Amino acid sequence: MKPIVGLTIALAVMVLLLASLSAFTVDQRENAIVFQLGEIKRVVTEPGLHFKWPLIQNVRRYDMRILTLDTPDTERVITSEKKNVLVDSFVKWRIADVKQYYKSVGGDEVQALQRLRQTVKSALLEEFGKRTVHDVVSGEREKLMDAVRTKVDEDAKKIGVDIVDVRVKRVELPQEVSESVYRRMAAERSAVASELRSQGYSESEKIRAEADREREVIIAEAYKQAQRVKGEGDAKASAIYARAFSENPEFYSFYRSLEAYRASFHNKSDVLIVEPTSDFFRYLKSPTGARTGH
Amino acid sequence: MSLNDPQWGKNRGGRGNGGGPPDLDELWRNLNQRLNSLFGRRGGGGATPPSGARQLGGLGLAIGLILVVWLGSGLFIVDESQRGVVLTFGKYARTVGPGLNYRWPYPFQSHEIVSLTQVRTVEVGYRNNVKTKVPREALMLTDDENIVDIQFAVQYILKSPEDYLFNNRDPKDTVMQAAETAFREIVGKSKMDFVLYEGRAQVEASSEKLMQEILDRYKTGISISQVTMQNAQPPEQVQAAFDDAVKAKQDLERQKNEGQAYYNDVVPKAKGAAARLTEEASGYRQRVVANAEGEASRFRQILVEYNKAPAVTRERMYLDTVQQIMASTSKVLVDARAGGNLLFLPLDKIMQMTGAAVATPEGGAARSAPEVAPPVSEAGPRSRDSLRSREREGRP
Repeated sequence: MKPIVGLTIALAVMVLLLASLSAFTVDQRENAIVFQLGEIKRVVTEPGLHFKWPLIQNVRRYDMRILTLDTPDTERVITSEKKNVLVDSFVKWRIADVKQYYKSVGGDEVQALQRLRQTVKSALLEEFGKRTVHDVVSGEREKLMDAVRTKVDEDAKKIGVDIVDVRVKRVELPQEVSESVYRRMAAERSAVASELRSQGYSESEKIRAEADREREVIIAEAYKQAQRVKGEGDAKASAIYARAFSENPEFYSFYRSLEAYRASFHNKSDVLIVEPTSDFFRYLKSPTGARTGH
Repeated sequence: MSLNDPQWGKNRGGRGNGGGPPDLDELWRNLNQRLNSLFGRRGGGGATPPSGARQLGGLGLAIGLILVVWLGSGLFIVDESQRGVVLTFGKYARTVGPGLNYRWPYPFQSHEIVSLTQVRTVEVGYRNNVKTKVPREALMLTDDENIVDIQFAVQYILKSPEDYLFNNRDPKDTVMQAAETAFREIVGKSKMDFVLYEGRAQVEASSEKLMQEILDRYKTGISISQVTMQNAQPPEQVQAAFDDAVKAKQDLERQKNEGQAYYNDVVPKAKGAAARLTEEASGYRQRVVANAEGEASRFRQILVEYNKAPAVTRERMYLDTVQQIMASTSKVLVDARAGGNLLFLPLDKIMQMTGAAVATPEGGAARSAPEVAPPVSEAGPRSRDSLRSREREGRP
């Protein structure tokens, strides 16, 4: 019994050893190349458990996810109007053909990135050179990115790489140009500011003038109204007077004359020189009041 | 072999027979025996069958324990906000929800846990605090070739753990890259004033849409939940000019308000004055009419009496009036016919005299002439008095 146990264990160890040498897994995220003494035997694209011959075959795995080429420094490019701009872009790429990738860049990511960087740079230079600053910033940004992508993709195919996307992040003006942009912005703002201020003055004046006009109109209207009302009053009064006084015009003139006399002579400084022959003094001369005048 | 076996404890404890102090020889022998039982008898040594069986039993237990631990390593806990992704030999097998989960242990299956619903944030143009700016990220060109300074934050969650794990090497950096490129594209298509003032919400919305498109193109499994502009302003270099423009806008409002205040002051006052004019006019009308009516009524009443005895009334009225006049004025009675043309009247003297005569009783006899108030002023109240008395007398 003992030898059997020992043998079983030994056998198990042997099997495990063999399995670990011949079986290999390929991750969901990876593709693998199986080499047989340095020669590419096959490419494994299906994730899961796979087998190879032990010792004479070995496996290399490659990340098949989307990778990023994002340079930290900006590229200086020249636009069609000979302006310098600084461009920061990134590239999303993935290995499309592992075999090709291995053959051309030795499966080395650093080497692949270098190759891509050069291609992207030249494509950016070319595409920016065809366009103005305004185009690259706003109008034709997408078109430009598309063109660069197509161009880079063409080249990348040669190293078994697929360019998913090329995107421009920053488009900056060089420092000295930025300064002049700032100056222009400041000038524009102060133009706006002074326009606003004078606009304020004009609107304020408008309102004031309107107020003055309204005042004039209101007063004038009121004056008109007042005069009309007064005239009405005067007319009515005249009518009343006329009606009353026409009842006896002769008496009215007597009555009114007396009133007028009283109003005219009521002061000590008014000196009357009176003839004693006047009617008023007729009793002063004779108690019978005989008229002397006529 | 059971735990009740007395030998078990001794073997486990590694102690020698009889509970004496540990003997190195004994230990060595024990080890040899175990090895022998493992590899048959090849190692030599005189192990007896019963002890071999014991060793085998111990080994089985050890293997059992290892097996349990090994199988137990397949257990894992997934939090409510997380999802677990199980891989079989590296190949995607399934996604599991929150709770206790099981997978086959290594090397058959493995798992990865991703936070699904937890909101993550990417900050662009600043770090941690809006004040700690990153100008490289913050300064952007607008459509009208101005430069704006923007800080914004992007919040995202995962919508697909499998995509998140399997399609991109660095999905978090990808969010940052997509955020920057998308936001700059939107800003680049907009005018500065639009970005800074009226169009902020729109810029946020359209950049969010673009970011999502980009991330979907890369199949990142990420869902942008919100893009918020933390701060949008002109660059520091032109801040003063912008502030001045804002001030100018307020000046405009202020001036307008001042104008309005003037308006509000003047127009109601004018309306008041107008009301005064019309009211006065209407008062005048009533007064004039009332006066007329009064006078007419007075005249009529006198007329009625006059009509009853015209001659007498006429005479009385005449005499009343002349009396009043004579009483209140200075008079000189001259027989013009007798005096003929030689009559000389020093009228100015008379005037003076009457003036002094009026003044003296009031001013006092002791007073000298210059101190006496001028007659004109004295005449005022007197004349008014006489007017009043005349009116009183005039009434029938």
